[in-house]
Amino acid sequence: MKRGIEIINRINRKRILLVSLFIALGFIIITLRVFLIMVIQHNQYMKRAERQHQKTIHIEPLRGTIYDRMGRELAVSVELESLYGVPSEIEDPKFVAAKLSSVLGMSYHSIEKRLEGHKNFIWLNRKLDPNSVKKIKDLSLDSKEIGFLTESKRFNPKRSLAGHLLGFVGMDNQGLEGVEFAYDKELKGEVGWLILERDALGRNIFPSKHNYKPSSSGKNLFLTIDEVIQHITEKELDKGMERWKAKGAMAIVMNPGTGEILSMVVRPEFNPNIVGSYKSSDWRNKAITDLYEPGSTFKVISSAAVLEEGIVKEKDLFDCSKGEIEVGGKIIRDAHRHGVLSFAEVIQKSSNVGAIQVGMKLGKNRFYKYIKDFGFGEKTEIDLPGESYGKVRETKKWSGTSIGAISIGQEIGVTPLQLLVAFSAIANNGYLMKPYIVSEIRDHEGKLVKSFKSQVVRKVISENTSKRLTDILRTVVEEGGTATKAAIEGNLVAGKTGTAQKIDPETGTYSHQKYVSSFVGFLPADDPKISIIVVVDEPQGAIYGGSVAAPIFKEIAEQVLTYLKIPIMEQGHSLLLSKGP
Amino acid sequence: MIDRRLIQNFDWILFLVTCILAFIGVLTIYSSTKTLPFKDGALSALPYYIKQMIWVGIGLVSVFVILFIDYRKLGKYSYVVYGFSLILLILVLFIGKSGMGAQRWFSLGPISFQPSELTKLFLIISLAWFLSEERITPMRLRDLFQPVFFFLFLPLLLVLKQPDLGTAMMIFFIFTSMVLMAGVRWKSLLIIILPAVLTSPLWVKLFWNSLKAYQKARILVFLKPDVDPLGVGYHIAQSKIAIGSGKIIGKGYLSGTQGQLRFLPERHTDFIFSTFAEEWGFLGSLVLIAIYFFLIFWGIGIAKKAKDRFGALIAIGVVSMIATYLIVNVGMTLGLMPVVGLPLPFLSYGGTSIVTVFMAIGILMNVKMRRFMLFY
Repeated sequence: MKRGIEIINRINRKRILLVSLFIALGFIIITLRVFLIMVIQHNQYMKRAERQHQKTIHIEPLRGTIYDRMGRELAVSVELESLYGVPSEIEDPKFVAAKLSSVLGMSYHSIEKRLEGHKNFIWLNRKLDPNSVKKIKDLSLDSKEIGFLTESKRFNPKRSLAGHLLGFVGMDNQGLEGVEFAYDKELKGEVGWLILERDALGRNIFPSKHNYKPSSSGKNLFLTIDEVIQHITEKELDKGMERWKAKGAMAIVMNPGTGEILSMVVRPEFNPNIVGSYKSSDWRNKAITDLYEPGSTFKVISSAAVLEEGIVKEKDLFDCSKGEIEVGGKIIRDAHRHGVLSFAEVIQKSSNVGAIQVGMKLGKNRFYKYIKDFGFGEKTEIDLPGESYGKVRETKKWSGTSIGAISIGQEIGVTPLQLLVAFSAIANNGYLMKPYIVSEIRDHEGKLVKSFKSQVVRKVISENTSKRLTDILRTVVEEGGTATKAAIEGNLVAGKTGTAQKIDPETGTYSHQKYVSSFVGFLPADDPKISIIVVVDEPQGAIYGGSVAAPIFKEIAEQVLTYLKIPIMEQGHSLLLSKGP
Repeated sequence: MIDRRLIQNFDWILFLVTCILAFIGVLTIYSSTKTLPFKDGALSALPYYIKQMIWVGIGLVSVFVILFIDYRKLGKYSYVVYGFSLILLILVLFIGKSGMGAQRWFSLGPISFQPSELTKLFLIISLAWFLSEERITPMRLRDLFQPVFFFLFLPLLLVLKQPDLGTAMMIFFIFTSMVLMAGVRWKSLLIIILPAVLTSPLWVKLFWNSLKAYQKARILVFLKPDVDPLGVGYHIAQSKIAIGSGKIIGKGYLSGTQGQLRFLPERHTDFIFSTFAEEWGFLGSLVLIAIYFFLIFWGIGIAKKAKDRFGALIAIGVVSMIATYLIVNVGMTLGLMPVVGLPLPFLSYGGTSIVTVFMAIGILMNVKMRRFMLFY
């Protein structure tokens, strides 16, 4: 060997140390870096990772059921299957489209167009009927390419019954109108979720670990509405609509003592199951959203005020013999010419001339106070969406004729509900109640979550005034009154008719063809159990509230009384036919 | 040729550590490729982890083949073999297969072969041979001209031509550590380093201009990682997300999301550390780094105890090769280094890389085994 033994030539240990230090330094640097990224900053990277690879699928909860006060189903959720496609997995969109088009009744091209491309999920048709589902399943297409997901669909088993009141939901079961909207939070329940993982190409991969939170069903609502009363009201209002060939009609039945709404009807009808086949203007619950001029029914408000203030007594006389009166340079006439009338008779016969004299005695400031106290120009705060304030002008905006006009229910806009609530206060010893529609919220196991109690808004008039006013209102349905057709055999009805001219939108003046006829009242008069308002929009053939609305009122009232088994009174003596509710 | 003392001196610990690393590699490759479709072709139809196991097997065989040959004999023929590997590097420039912007591979039927991997190994042996023959230590400046030309300049030129930045870095580090180890006068070192540092802007400019666009982009992204998170920066960003989201204890074997869901590119080759870190967490990564640390310092121990200068230099060459691989590769996955395409030794999928590092381990064991042998 040329070099022989090389023990002496072994390399310098210092130099080994130097190289070792360099390598160790490299290790320290990468270890610190690993520590920084994996221990100190890991949350930041974790979030970025999750953003990249996780996709959350929401699991829609079953929407709660809406029941009437007796636990009868008004709106339920049924489970239906929806068809989806996975375009990224579909090899032959034409084939799939051809197969599906005949079953779905959709055009071949529209399906094919949707199936092309690389999306991972598209809805093909949602909430299919079971028959179509079976047909599609019989096609036995690749389950990777298309599939079904169960979705719930809102269904009102009684169809249009209480349709406006209940409202409806959108495709994703979100409440859009009515009770469905107002109580959407309670009804919809809690959305569950399933976290899917997604790869870099956007394909979904079922997770290895179950990241799943089940949805919790929505809560059930119990309404104050009674299905039978609702049905009676709808049936009678429909008959009246047909008889008077009216453009529309509304009726509400309420418990004056509590504010519970027993029925609320708007016509033309609306069936929430087939929302799309109605004009959107027919979706509205006009009984609380739309204003009308109340006409003579509003005379009761000024009457209540003058009685309460002691300005006028029942027997005080008003000269109505001219049949007309001038207010602020404007002549207002009576429908029929009367002689000299007592205050009670002014109401009974609904004399405009008398009512205006009453109003002028009251004066605009006190009149305004009572209008506001009875709840006009304010929301009743009923638990339904879209309620109107009404239209009540401040006294400083009143013209010279205003006091006269308002005395007979013109120049003022009210909702049928507002008027009924005001009348109910008279029936309820002067206590104005807050109307409400939902009495209880219960969870899906039936446990009570929340219950709603009746609320007094304020006391408007004294008990004495309300009794005296009730006595006057009873005469309206008696011989000589405007609403004899509202009288019920053996029972005491208190009420008031209204016949308001509609304002012609073209001319801006009162129309002589278009009227709103109404009747609002309560019974039994000495112990009121129900109050009812009936408003008929543009009746043909007759215009007076006493002819058009009063008979409808009577029909509703009679049947509801029978249904509620309210004792019939005769000659001031109580004859108990059966137990009250 | 092999007597009982050789068998007694067989380095079981080094062998075991190597096998552990290779095993971790196969496991991680299995995890990171189980969602990948196999490539077409007869041999390629096998899953990646099976192919890796075959390569590990070939690597183990080559370890034993090398053990049979006295490392000193390797030295004698090393210039020839080194020369041959340089010729291969020239050939690959003309008839090599290009991929990802570089011409690095020979296609040999179903397998491809990267000559620059082998070049490193032959460079270590022949440089060690060259330096061990050197009488004068520490070396003077003029003693350096020859090795710099043959063992640094020439291979760098050929490798950069491909271009292969990672191997160039590797060759530079191996050369530097071996020459330092052999001993250079401090004065001579200063004479080299000082002008090099002073003229460095010029060299950087020259170097920069010689780079391909993708390499420039990688370096730019390394310097400013937020420039282009979806383009070139995607690799580093995804790697850091995978590593960081592993947190302390990891997501569990086969449960890594970024690797499994294909967000992480090159997850079974250059970025296998990220896959591993994601699934095994900080603790697992610490263990892995510790194993490498042990391996490298075991190798340094071999260098210290080597019988002769040649053996010590070989050991240092091998150690610095593995250390450079590791630090550059892991540094790259952590965003500490530009993406240069160096594999993680023993773990990354790839035949040439596996066989090369196993052969390197074989040489190391060879040195250790023969430290008590008397020379003839």
